[in-house]
Amino acid sequence: MAIFTIDEVRKTFTNGEVKEEILKGINLSLREGEITALVGASGSGKSTLLTIAAGLQPASDGKVIFEGTNMINMSSEQVRKVRASKFGFVFQFAHLVPFLTVEEQLMLMLDVSESKLKKHEQKKEVDKILKLVEMDHRKNAYPSSLSGGEKQRVAIARAIIHKPKVLFADEPTASLDSKRSKDVMMLIRNLTKTLNITTLMVTHDEEMLSYVDSIIKMSDGQVLQNAV
Amino acid sequence: MNIAWKEIKKNKVRFMILGSIVFLVSLLTFIISGLANGLSQDNAALIKDLPNGQFYMSKDANETYNMSRIDSSIQDKMLSKQKDAVAFSIQMGFLNDRAGKQQSVAFVTSTDSSLFKNVKKGEIVLDRSMEDKGIKIGDTLTNNQYSGKFIVKGFVDQRKFSHAPVAYINMDAYKEIYRVNEMQLIFVPGGDSTQVAGLQSFSNNQFLNTIASYKAEQMSLNMIVWFLVIISGMLFAIFFYMMNVQKIGLYGILKAIGVKTSALFKMMWTQMLFITVIALVLSVSLSQVFNMIAPKGMPFSLTTDTTVQLSIVFLIIGFIGATLSGIQIKKVEPLQAIQQGEI
Repeated sequence: MAIFTIDEVRKTFTNGEVKEEILKGINLSLREGEITALVGASGSGKSTLLTIAAGLQPASDGKVIFEGTNMINMSSEQVRKVRASKFGFVFQFAHLVPFLTVEEQLMLMLDVSESKLKKHEQKKEVDKILKLVEMDHRKNAYPSSLSGGEKQRVAIARAIIHKPKVLFADEPTASLDSKRSKDVMMLIRNLTKTLNITTLMVTHDEEMLSYVDSIIKMSDGQVLQNAV
Repeated sequence: MNIAWKEIKKNKVRFMILGSIVFLVSLLTFIISGLANGLSQDNAALIKDLPNGQFYMSKDANETYNMSRIDSSIQDKMLSKQKDAVAFSIQMGFLNDRAGKQQSVAFVTSTDSSLFKNVKKGEIVLDRSMEDKGIKIGDTLTNNQYSGKFIVKGFVDQRKFSHAPVAYINMDAYKEIYRVNEMQLIFVPGGDSTQVAGLQSFSNNQFLNTIASYKAEQMSLNMIVWFLVIISGMLFAIFFYMMNVQKIGLYGILKAIGVKTSALFKMMWTQMLFITVIALVLSVSLSQVFNMIAPKGMPFSLTTDTTVQLSIVFLIIGFIGATLSGIQIKKVEPLQAIQQGEI
């Protein structure tokens, strides 16, 4: 069942009098619980598509339908609420808050998503997720004392702690070495399958495609092919 | 979660630097304000300590009290009409002490009134600062223009005019020293301004500003105080601007994961409030200690009212400074922050 549908999405950037169309009418849908990879050469528009789908920038035209509502018609506050409660994000860099411990990073995300859990339940949830990403032994550590792989695992934990419907991952392994990249991808796959989270991921790394359920190839702002 | 406090805890040094700058600027402001108040008391306590009312001087005095001469018929009429009204004169002069040393004083004489010390002929009541110059009750003082002698009858606290201690003398003695028969001023406590032919009326503040040295002195000192307040506001704006520039990436990521812009502003305001309150508590305490240990001759007066007013102004200016610098937070695009790389 499709949880997320992108319908004829276009994105045009204007630089002075020059108009450049980055996305030329994209259509795709994400099935619940599946991991979909967006692949393609640099400049093909895959990151732009991901950020439009995630509500981080508006489309010039088209529809982004999530749970039956077109996000393009939502106010910025409504989009923010969706991002906070229904979406999770993993970026190329972990982007952790430097003055919060690992545990506090996750508690913050629960606060932002307006979690109904009580404080002690939130702590339990944090412990559970940290165990899943094998970072429970570092819960009092600050980001500055973590390795790149550890940071990315905390970022993944932060992205799923509030049980989002959709996880957006923009090159989540690009800053990691080969072994750590595989570990992180395995972690994303296991967690999203366990928690039934739909994932849209941008990647350059072909090795990572073995962990995904479907692949969408993009070129020059258009979808070339859908492959399983 | 109070992320504002978490950031302060993790970046103690950074916030201590801002706090110490605010502390130093506010301490300097309190001390200069204390000096301004002290000098103002030293210059015009005689007038400042009078209740609110109206001062009258002759129109042709051109707003200069010591040029004023109030016609005795007008004076009699006003004093009989207004029970609490008092006519008085002030002139700078000298007293010779027992050792023949000249002491500068402001001679004051008045009609019968509870607002001024009324003394008999041959007597004098002085401001208590004269005690520090070795003058005691019972001492005999002289004046070169006065044929008689003055016997010191007592001292009063905080009675100064034009930085000189006040010397209350009898009207006859005053008339002999300055060879005048008319009084310079009439004061009507609590009265509204009423038109009196040949006289010009002034409120307490308006009258204080007719004292040339008072106006110039207070203007300069108040200008310093307000410059310091503005500088501290700018310091807040600059410091938070620098911190915000460093945190643009962080704000972008926080916005991307759904943190409200208002929550980021609250975080900044909390930090501003925390730093300012601590800095103000320290500077107020230290300025009060200074108030207690300041040398006796130093005119320093820092009242609770002034302290509270300045503290509120500091908080408001800190809030404005931080908010102005925080406009960047509103402009931060999550997408830009994500594309900028690691924070």
